[in-house]
Amino acid sequence: MTQHLTESEVRGIAEYTRIGMTEDEVAQMTVDLNSIIDSLEPIREYQLDGVEPTFHPIGSLSNVMREDVEAAGFTQEEALANAPKQQNGSFLIPAILGDGGDR
Amino acid sequence: MQTLEEVLERYEAVIGLEVHTELTTLETKMFCGCKLEFGAEPNTHTCPVCLGLPGALPVPNKAAIESIVLAGLATNCDIEKHSMFYRKNYMYPDMAKNFQTTQGPVAFCMRGHLDLEVGGAAAKERHGLAGAKAGDAFENVTVTEEGYRAHVGITRIHMEEDAGKMVHVGGEEGRIAGATHSLVDYNRAGTPLIELVTEPDLRTPEEARLFMQKLRQIYLTLGISDCSMEEGSLRCDGNVSLRRRGSTELGTKTELKNINSFKSLHDGLLYEIRRQAQVLDEGGIIYQETRHWDPSAKRTIVMRVKETADDYRLFPEPDLAPYDLSDEFISRVRAKLPELPDDKAARFQEEFGLSAYDAQHLVEHRSTASFFEACMADADKKLAKPVANLIINDVTAWLNANADASLEDSALTPARAVQLVGLVDAGAISSKQGKEVFAAVLEEDADPKAIVEERGMEQVSDTGAIEAVVDAVLAENPDKVEQYKGGKMGLIGFFVGQCMKQMQGKGNPQLINQLLEEKLS
Amino acid sequence: MAALGTPFGQMSVAQLQAGLAAKEFSCHEVAAATLDVIEEADAPLHAFLEVTRDAALAAADALDARVDADAFAQAGALAGVPVGYKDNMNLVGTHTTCASNMLESYVSPYTATCVAKTLQAGAVPVGKLNMDEFAFGSSTETSAFGPTLNPWDATRVPGGSSGGSAAAVAAGLVPVALGSDTGGSIRQPASFCGVVGVKPTYGMVSRYGVVAFGSSLDQVGPFARTVEDAALALNAICGHDPLDCTSQPCSVDFTANLSEGVKGMKVGIIPAFMEAEGLSAEVKAKVEEAAAKLEAAGAELREVELPNAKAAISAYYVLGPCEAFSNLARFDSVRYGYSDPGHKDLGSQYEASRAKGFGLEARRRIMLGSYLLSAGVYEQYYYPAQQVRTLITEDYMKAFDQVDCLLAPAAPRTAFKFGEMAEPAEMYLSDMFTISINIAGNGGMSMPVGLGAESGLPVGVQLMGPAFKDENMLRVAAELERIYGPAPVAPGFKAGE
Repeated sequence: MTQHLTESEVRGIAEYTRIGMTEDEVAQMTVDLNSIIDSLEPIREYQLDGVEPTFHPIGSLSNVMREDVEAAGFTQEEALANAPKQQNGSFLIPAILGDGGDR
Repeated sequence: MQTLEEVLERYEAVIGLEVHTELTTLETKMFCGCKLEFGAEPNTHTCPVCLGLPGALPVPNKAAIESIVLAGLATNCDIEKHSMFYRKNYMYPDMAKNFQTTQGPVAFCMRGHLDLEVGGAAAKERHGLAGAKAGDAFENVTVTEEGYRAHVGITRIHMEEDAGKMVHVGGEEGRIAGATHSLVDYNRAGTPLIELVTEPDLRTPEEARLFMQKLRQIYLTLGISDCSMEEGSLRCDGNVSLRRRGSTELGTKTELKNINSFKSLHDGLLYEIRRQAQVLDEGGIIYQETRHWDPSAKRTIVMRVKETADDYRLFPEPDLAPYDLSDEFISRVRAKLPELPDDKAARFQEEFGLSAYDAQHLVEHRSTASFFEACMADADKKLAKPVANLIINDVTAWLNANADASLEDSALTPARAVQLVGLVDAGAISSKQGKEVFAAVLEEDADPKAIVEERGMEQVSDTGAIEAVVDAVLAENPDKVEQYKGGKMGLIGFFVGQCMKQMQGKGNPQLINQLLEEKLS
Repeated sequence: MAALGTPFGQMSVAQLQAGLAAKEFSCHEVAAATLDVIEEADAPLHAFLEVTRDAALAAADALDARVDADAFAQAGALAGVPVGYKDNMNLVGTHTTCASNMLESYVSPYTATCVAKTLQAGAVPVGKLNMDEFAFGSSTETSAFGPTLNPWDATRVPGGSSGGSAAAVAAGLVPVALGSDTGGSIRQPASFCGVVGVKPTYGMVSRYGVVAFGSSLDQVGPFARTVEDAALALNAICGHDPLDCTSQPCSVDFTANLSEGVKGMKVGIIPAFMEAEGLSAEVKAKVEEAAAKLEAAGAELREVELPNAKAAISAYYVLGPCEAFSNLARFDSVRYGYSDPGHKDLGSQYEASRAKGFGLEARRRIMLGSYLLSAGVYEQYYYPAQQVRTLITEDYMKAFDQVDCLLAPAAPRTAFKFGEMAEPAEMYLSDMFTISINIAGNGGMSMPVGLGAESGLPVGVQLMGPAFKDENMLRVAAELERIYGPAPVAPGFKAGE
């Protein structure tokens, strides 16, 4: 099996995807992911020069849009109905440490 | 730190802007039918789509696509017929789906430009202008009579969606640092947002400011946004780096955020240029980092250091069909293009014989431009210049001093403005009196003629009456007459003043001058 | 061994509606009896995650009040029919858990279009059905709330990810259920449980309100025991939805040509599929037998090649996880879903909530997708996978220039035992025959053709049709149904057996 990903890289992916993992889990995940990525190799061996990608199946659709007309939405109560925590009509979250990207 | 002039002597500042504009004039959000409204109760304009509920799917707002095409046409962009939406993946709590729907390598609008007219003191900031004469060209600059014209490239304008709003609680002044928790409101989430990215073609803070002002003017003319920097519907980030004169390699750039006014943009860039120069002069290194402009402390502070490039795992949004804009769609949008500020200024010069300077100032605001046009609809063309002056000087000063005022709602109607200018032009009142009448019109909501009559301001232009006063003044001051005749020509001002005083300011100053000169010669 | 289920649940839609029209029983009686049986009989089977008694009775009573029995036919294609929904479909006021701890307490504030359309057609919503967590799996073993058993053999899986839907229909608890299919998640469990399962052409059924797994691959479709029932359900749910940009208009009556037979139809066999490593002898034999019987019934058999279909599995395990990674980012403990208590900062709340909220397979696919989309890796996997999609799509287009319908195995073998597929990559092979059609977007279905000679378990053959011509495969399926007889209700099992 090829080592596509090291444990340290897997730890990095876990951080990026915000999934907490123990060291044991990282070790097992590294094995699993390497095995799966191994099985994906045929895609890299394919002769694909000059082949256009198809990002959307059934390619005939384009320019699908709606008119700029208001539609019924939620009340504040409905919007917050599934909120784990809320305060003053808003979703409540604990402190944001560091920062989350492009802002 | 050194002054900007000193720094720019040795370094070239390379500035690029990223301008986010919310399409506030639309009815609904980018991908759902929720109402766009600033300042509503939190989370009252939401639905499955903009709350990112499981199973919800986006549907683009056609009017938003029309708006961005309009913006592209107005900024000389190529409109790309084939483009797609992409997902930009990163987790942040104000972004309900934890990806932002935006565009990929191909945006709706690509390869545009705006030309900036830089004049006055600001033109001196640009390096390499010394000794150049009108018509000379170098870099992206063409030298003009008033200063220079800079050609600023626009890389692209792409369509995306805004995030929700957060209130940080428990720390200082609502800052995120030190806060114990935050409140998230998704009313703004999904607001249609267009992002314009310039080429790194700007070289001075003033050029950056002028670019933003011009862009704002254009967007307001198009009517696609209210462009309020204060409310955040127009936002700007500045990238700036320095390089030694003569070098072609780009230096490390810093990104300036939290710019909520044109002044902040200018001052923040100015500070950043001087700060970077100092670091470089001391042999230090510029780190690629995001910095925050603090207008009260008048300095920039580090927000975060970018150690590695952000990896947003961008990929084509499978839930949205690709775009294949037809010529018909684009020409339909083109037909909606209003007269743009530059075209209007050119027309004002042509039609009314205004100077380029006056014409540019008039079109700086949609309200002043249309006021001028309303004035000139019935007025004699010879009044164009004084009407323009009234607007550029008095009206603009009044608007600047009264932040809440609007010209449309004021007591100064175009008819009154023309009447006022006519009174001055005919010599019925002095230009100084004109200013008094201008203030009175706004204050009392009355016609200029009525004010002039009521206050007895009508100028005395009767030669006989003035002559009598002139004679009396000369008779009262024989010593001064002697001195004048002895070569102290400056005393003419004294005689005019005395005559005006006796006539309670109503004498026609030109006539007084003329008679005095006759009698003293 | 007594068959599990109720007389109502075992009836076809036509039988039910005939009884309702003749006032032999009311919608309320059908609903109440069905709910009672589900609550009792489903305990060992575990096809249902929630029984929506209130919603069902309200819908039934409304129908009884509204519908003049003499005009029952106008009440909708599914009037009075108890329907179950895979638990990734939102129905307002019910839980939509995706069989995940992440959404255990989530209550839908809105209804998916496909669900709404069945309700408009008169369906009686009796409950939400078990599945692999977020549809990641082929056995329903990854459900956070415990697996569903195969009604034919309690030691075996019902397939997945729509295992609950297949099992509920096979056990005779409901005549019709909806599932979703991203790589075989309707067809493989239909094959394992011996029922009809249809994955329509991508775009025929709105995905709005169906929790997304792979947005460019997902499609909703019906399970039923008869082809006609599946066609009726398809009639009800297909069509353009202004809330789904990828949905398309559809005006076909899928019941219209079911009785036409296959005379003159060209049915394609894909030799590479028949020779594939891993295809069990009994399934292969069944496909060959079905082909021979169709030929005997007047169809013309042709061999067609899908030269690029062999790349489908790798393309699928690139595209699926990439889209899933992004689709599942929204489960962040802020607006809904599991929120791990006691955290002072959002980062640690995120990490704990997602670690505990998602099961292992979900975490695996999220992380795989995140890796495959990262800078420098995207070009090696994601982009070529989309190029492969072009080739596979072209393969199918060329194939359907030659034939009206393709015939292939649905799954390489019959239902396997719990725990038998331990390795993820091994489990992924159970979709080897179904995946390529999701990549291309065409419709495919599994049609039961009796029991395997060795295992004695149901075998399904897969039928595939040209894009937006799903009536072709239904027409062939109807012929197979005439040959093999309608799918029997599973013979039942005793809990713990």
